[in-house]
Formats: sequence, C-alpha cells, structure tokens
Amino acid sequence: MICIQDLSFTYKNGTEPALREVSLTLPDGDFLGVIGPAGAGKTTLTRAIAGMIPHHYTGDYYGSVTVNGLDTVETPLDQISRLVGTVFQDVESQIISPVVEDEMLYGLENFGVPRAEIPRRLEEALGMVGIADLRERSIASLSGGQRQKVAIASILALKPQILVLDEPTGELDPRSSRQIFTLLRKLNEEQGITVIIVEQKIMLLCEFARHLAVLNEGRVMRQGEVREVLAHAEDLEAAGVNCPRVTTYSRALSARLGERQPVCVDLDEAEALTRRLMK
Amino acid sequence: MITLEHVSFSYANGQPSVKDVSFHLPKGEFAAILGPNGAGKTTTVRLVDGLLQPAEGRVMIDGSDLRESRVSDRARKVGFLFQNPDRQICKNTVREEILFGLRTVRPDLSEEALQARAEETLADFSFTGKEEPFSLSRGQRQRVALASILAVEPEVLILDEPTTGLDYRECCHIMDRIRKMNEEKQVTILMVCHDMEVVLDYARQALVMADGRLLACGPIRDIFRDTALMEQASVLPPQMIGLGLRLGGTFLEADTPDAMADALIASLRKGGTEK
Repeated sequence: MICIQDLSFTYKNGTEPALREVSLTLPDGDFLGVIGPAGAGKTTLTRAIAGMIPHHYTGDYYGSVTVNGLDTVETPLDQISRLVGTVFQDVESQIISPVVEDEMLYGLENFGVPRAEIPRRLEEALGMVGIADLRERSIASLSGGQRQKVAIASILALKPQILVLDEPTGELDPRSSRQIFTLLRKLNEEQGITVIIVEQKIMLLCEFARHLAVLNEGRVMRQGEVREVLAHAEDLEAAGVNCPRVTTYSRALSARLGERQPVCVDLDEAEALTRRLMK
Repeated sequence: MITLEHVSFSYANGQPSVKDVSFHLPKGEFAAILGPNGAGKTTTVRLVDGLLQPAEGRVMIDGSDLRESRVSDRARKVGFLFQNPDRQICKNTVREEILFGLRTVRPDLSEEALQARAEETLADFSFTGKEEPFSLSRGQRQRVALASILAVEPEVLILDEPTTGLDYRECCHIMDRIRKMNEEKQVTILMVCHDMEVVLDYARQALVMADGRLLACGPIRDIFRDTALMEQASVLPPQMIGLGLRLGGTFLEADTPDAMADALIASLRKGGTEK
C-alpha cells in the first residue's frame, strides 16, 4: 500500500512548490492513471513515490510518503527501489547497455541477485513482456516500442511490487501504446503488481486504469474511479485535460434530454446508451 | 502544390522505405498521413522536404522538381516542424531563434525588415523575445520552433508528429495556430500524427500508408469510415466515427459528440411522430 499524506515539495532551486498538500492512498494491486497539464507535478509525484525525492532531489519537503509501511524519507533509496520499479519518461537515459541481455544483467547484478538465480529471472522477465526473441539484440536496432519493453523487462526482473511509469508511451504509435497498456494490465492482474502510470492519452487511461488522479498546479484536483472522475469533465477541461469523446457525447445527451445520463467511458458504453435511449 | 510521381526510396540500414508512391496535394490542402510505425510516413515527409532524394520518381513543389531547385528556394517554400523541438532550437533567446531562421532563409531582406518580421511573429505568439527556449516547457519550446518556421512564411508546412509529448492544451495551441496559417494564408499542410482525434479535428485529406506503399488517398471522413482499409493500416478510427459505424443510419454522418447527440435527438423526434 502507498500512502501519501499532505505532501508538499519545492525543488531546491524552485520558486514555487511542485506539489501542494497532496494526499493519495493506493491499495495493493491498484492501477492508477495520473493525468494533468505540463507542470502539474506529475513527474514530481512519481519521484516522491520512488523515493528519488528526497534522496536524489533535495528541497523543502513536508508531509509523508509511506510505501508498504516504510517512510520514504527514513528508508534508504536502495531499499525503496526493491519495492518500487520506475520507468522514466526518457527511456534513452535509462538504458545504458548496448545489448538487451547486458541491460537486464546490469540491474540484477546491482541488486545482488544470486548468480544461480539470474538466468531464470532474466528469462521470466523477457517472457512476461513477450520479448524473449530480443535477448541478443543490440539496443540501437530496436524500435521505440521495443526499447520501452526492454526498460520494463529490466525493471520486472528485479521483482518490484509497485511499478511507476512516467509517460511510457509518449513517443509510441497507437498500436505500441496499446501493447504497453495491455502488458501492464496483465502484470497487474496476474502478478498483482501495483501500477502507477502518468499518461496524456486519456482514452487509454480510461480503458485500462481503475483509478484516476488529475493533477493541476501541484494539487490533486480530482481522484477516484475513472467514471467518478470523468463525471466532472468540466473541471478537467478547465485544467486543460480533455476527456474521451464518448464522455463528451454522454454529457451532450444529458444537456439535450434535460436529464442526467450515465457517464460513458468507452465505445461499448456509448453504443449501449444510445440503443437504450432509442428503444 | 505537392506532387509525388512514382517515388521510391530505401535506406541502407533498413529504416522504412517508400515504394512507388504517387499523390498530389493542391495549394491550401490540409492532409495527414496515417499508418503504423514502419509504414514509411516519416520517410515520405522527408522526401517532400528534400531531406532525402528519391531513388526513383520525382518530388515536385509548386511545379518545380526538388532536385532541380536550389536549397535556398526550397527552404523558403517548405517549413518542417520536427517531433522534438530540441532538434530545431539552437539559440539562447526566442528572438535570436526567430531571427536565426529568418536570416538563413531570407538573406534578401534588409536588417530592418528582418527585425520587423521577428517583432511581428513574437507578438503573434505572445512571446517577449527574451525567453530562454531551454527553460521553457516542451509545449512552449514547440511553439518557439513553430514561430521561427512561420516567420519565414513558408508555402508548405510539414509536421512530423507535432503534438508528441504535449498536454491537451498545448496540443490545441499548436494545432489551432497551424489551422490559422492554413485558412488565412493557404499554407499547404502535410502532417504525420498518431492521434486520430487530432487528425479528424484538423485535417481534411488523408493518405494511408503501410509497408512503404500508399494504400489510399481521400477525404478524411471517407477514409476513417473504410473499415477494411483502417484494419489493413492498423488504424483505430476516432471514437465518434467508430460509434457512427456501429450505430449506422443517420449516425454515420456524425463526427463530433454534439453532432452524434443531435442525430439521436432527431431520430427520437422522428420516432415520436411516427407513433
């Protein structure tokens, strides 16, 4: 479980707080989507959960973050990183080895995983992500989506209980983006891994995430189940966050019919609502 | 304005190639290239810009073959906005960045004229000119890159995933600005974009590519409603088009949430009078 209480943080050279009194609780096995405009504090939030704040990034820190009961301020970073695996926004800066297998070995050896266990972990992680065939490939020869999968596999090999990803599909095409989300859902459902993902693609978030947190100017302006959050589409739009067109459609119907219609989050729901109304 | 005749190109290192691509976009067109990664979309826009030379066939801009035209003429006519603004920006202030592009492409203009045009562009984009590009957000840096391209007043603007990494508001800023250029100055736009909602909102024409070949070219809505074609090109159509296809009838024509809601109300009214 992750528990964030009244967290405020200002970077050492920052003039304004990047996060302001943020409180969020994530049960084990949650799938949380984080969305918000540029500068809302999304990346800062992921750093705080991963313990990089305050261990790597210093500044004024108020409030508390606990991960499985461990206070991230008091717990050494290497201990937190055994629980929380992070995939950064810039995958290029995360991958340091020229070959896929070496990249994965680097993390495993750093974590002091016993030598005898390494081959099994490596195979498992590659298999989970579905890239066993890329093991011997050079990183340079991989597409953006494949690199993203390598980054995820090398984190999974370390067996984290929590996976934090900062805009992992930013540079990917729709098909690869969907593959990444499908993979995350599988890890979440089959391995019980808690997933926290920062993402601008609202339609994917609505389809795959269980909960949404909308950040704006360092604050959590809305949080809850996807449907609950989308019910406040006006607030989201005021903060510069769009909602899926099907949600806008259900709102347009509410306005025209003069009675509140259920919030649609995907195409199936929009179709079902339309057919029901036409009966 | 943009004409490709039987253009083929392949890279030595196996990057996506282009095979026998032909199309014509008249002046003032706003077109998007759709297709999966590896389809040859970026290769195609690079050929249009002259960053790559076709191995076969020819690329014409405004009636002249790119191979026969001078690089300076081409740079004046064709602006290229990259996916990542940091590949474009090289100066320490926004004013210098805009002036840099202008000086390079318009050596014919006097210093006063250059300054005046930079001033105009800055005002147009609400920049003071003193901003340091690298301390701005990615969305703002993309606006800097766009401003310095538009200052040159190109006739053709090529966009390679211009909204990547931007939030929704930044995306609208950039795209609205591009639409304005298209509508007011008849700038011809050719864009690669992975967000089909953005494509539907802004483009009028679609070119569909897969495996280096052009599969189809036509009005954007017709293309999105061609289910077999969309599957072939691994494109998931925008939500309202998808909903219209599922519901059929009058819903097929609706492409925005409001139009879709209106279609439902209209069909309820019609049903009501029949009863």
